[in-house]
Amino acid sequence: MPNFQLMRRKFQTEGVTHAVFLSLPVTLFAVFYVYPIVSTFNLSLHSWDGFSPSPKYVGLQNYVVLLHQSRFFHALLNNISWLVFLLLGPTSLGLLLAALLDRGMKGESVFRVIFFLPFTIPAVAVAAIWRWMYEPTNGLLTTVMRSVGLGGLAQNWLGDPSIVNFALMGSMMWWTTGFAFLVFFAGLRNIPVEYIEAARIEGATPWQVFWKVSFPLLWPSTIVVLGMAAVDAMRLFDIVWAMTNGGPAYASEVLATQMYDTAFGRFEMGRASAISVYLLVIAGVIIMPYIYQLAKRVQDSEAE
Amino acid sequence: MNTATAKRTALPFSILVAAAAIFAAPLVVAFLTSLKSPSEITRVIALPNELFFQNYAIAYERMGRSFLNSIAITVPSVILSLLVGAISGYPLAYMRGAGGRVVYLFLLTGMLVPFQIVQIPLFFLIRAIGLYDTIPGMWLVHTAYSVPFCTFFMRNFFASVPRSMYEAALIDGCSPAAYFWRLLLPASGSGLAALAIIQSRAIWNDLLFAITLTTSDEARPVTVTIAGFASSLQVEYGPLMAATLISLLPVMLAYLLFQKAFVRGLLGGAGK
Repeated sequence: MPNFQLMRRKFQTEGVTHAVFLSLPVTLFAVFYVYPIVSTFNLSLHSWDGFSPSPKYVGLQNYVVLLHQSRFFHALLNNISWLVFLLLGPTSLGLLLAALLDRGMKGESVFRVIFFLPFTIPAVAVAAIWRWMYEPTNGLLTTVMRSVGLGGLAQNWLGDPSIVNFALMGSMMWWTTGFAFLVFFAGLRNIPVEYIEAARIEGATPWQVFWKVSFPLLWPSTIVVLGMAAVDAMRLFDIVWAMTNGGPAYASEVLATQMYDTAFGRFEMGRASAISVYLLVIAGVIIMPYIYQLAKRVQDSEAE
Repeated sequence: MNTATAKRTALPFSILVAAAAIFAAPLVVAFLTSLKSPSEITRVIALPNELFFQNYAIAYERMGRSFLNSIAITVPSVILSLLVGAISGYPLAYMRGAGGRVVYLFLLTGMLVPFQIVQIPLFFLIRAIGLYDTIPGMWLVHTAYSVPFCTFFMRNFFASVPRSMYEAALIDGCSPAAYFWRLLLPASGSGLAALAIIQSRAIWNDLLFAITLTTSDEARPVTVTIAGFASSLQVEYGPLMAATLISLLPVMLAYLLFQKAFVRGLLGGAGK
């Protein structure tokens, strides 16, 4: 016979326990997210070099000045190209590789490891390796092109403003495709075999089976991959900073590297803060629906 | 395998082999380069005539200290971030009503924040509390910025544990806190292991917080050292590739060893 009075007390202490548990993460969040964000908003309304005792209030001037700078728009445009590229490039290559591998292929585990390994590497290591790949006279890319008689098409991959962004995207493709691949691969594994068999018995070609049966069922995996791609596109910093530092002549700059240069290279803290506020707003508009979806999806599963 | 199947898989198989060759090439070339003497380095595709281990000695001399710093930063940060994620995920998985939902959505928004928005105030905050250029400072920062993702991950993991277990434990006289420490956490090994690998990668590979908050050999992790090494005017690719390979080894090994836990965690926490 359970003690009902004791039980009621337990459920009452539940609320208190929950609150105590949540107080640590919420405090950390308040101190390391909320406070700095508010502080950055405030700083963006000032002109400050980071040293002088009192920042000077300038209103919205930092925001207005940025809107008149082609350097700012160029970085913004680069972020948007990166967004499009990351949503499409690694996602489709990862899906392709996962789909090809999903049928008990010989050497499956070897392929899986090779495709996924680059994703485990730090961005700076990716940058160091690819700076060597792209080295204009002796790098692997130029050497291979020369050996197949295309040496004339070899470029100064990271030194030419019209090529540098594509070169960076190439190394990004190598780095991040593994993540999309693995999520899709695991997603395909979760599709019940009967569905595929049923479609095959109905006489569907492998092509039809993939697009009509597997792909729609992969939607949860697709959501994860696209969401991560959008977050990465907005946060993009490491690979650009470590490979080109935004150069040559700001050609490969994104908002995050421009913000870093403005803050810690030129000590214009107010201007840099305004850049990051723009970045936050853009990221919010693009990614908030996704976060909302994530929170909601979990509630749905709870309701089941 | 009969001939018809063999025919059907021939094309996909050759595409996969070509893709694998391209994916492996950069690492293979980096490895070969790390074993070549300066005079051989320009012959990119060739094997080294003799193994030139001196590159590794030079690399170790330049980055040994920061490699140790990376370990000293990553291990405690991963443990702390897992603990905070679990502490935060537990009530959010069990709370009923709007309160829990609001807190959860609030913490999740952290996942979209580009870290540039916190960078400048964070720099001054960490300096003000005396943790600038220290390893404990990095523990604090990595733990704090892991809160959104770890909360998300652990909440989903705990939500998959049947609620009846919780209610039965409470009826048996177990307090909610005791249930967490004595029953739930010890039973969550697989989720914690998967999250530990994801977190190790994120923290070991971090560059942004490290360049903002460390400056001396005492605290600088390996990513910052490699970045400095790579952007020096006269890049010596032999030692650089050796250093790069050393820097990527720990996380790569962790993934190879714990592949299964990771894939399972990826499905539990992110996919479905």
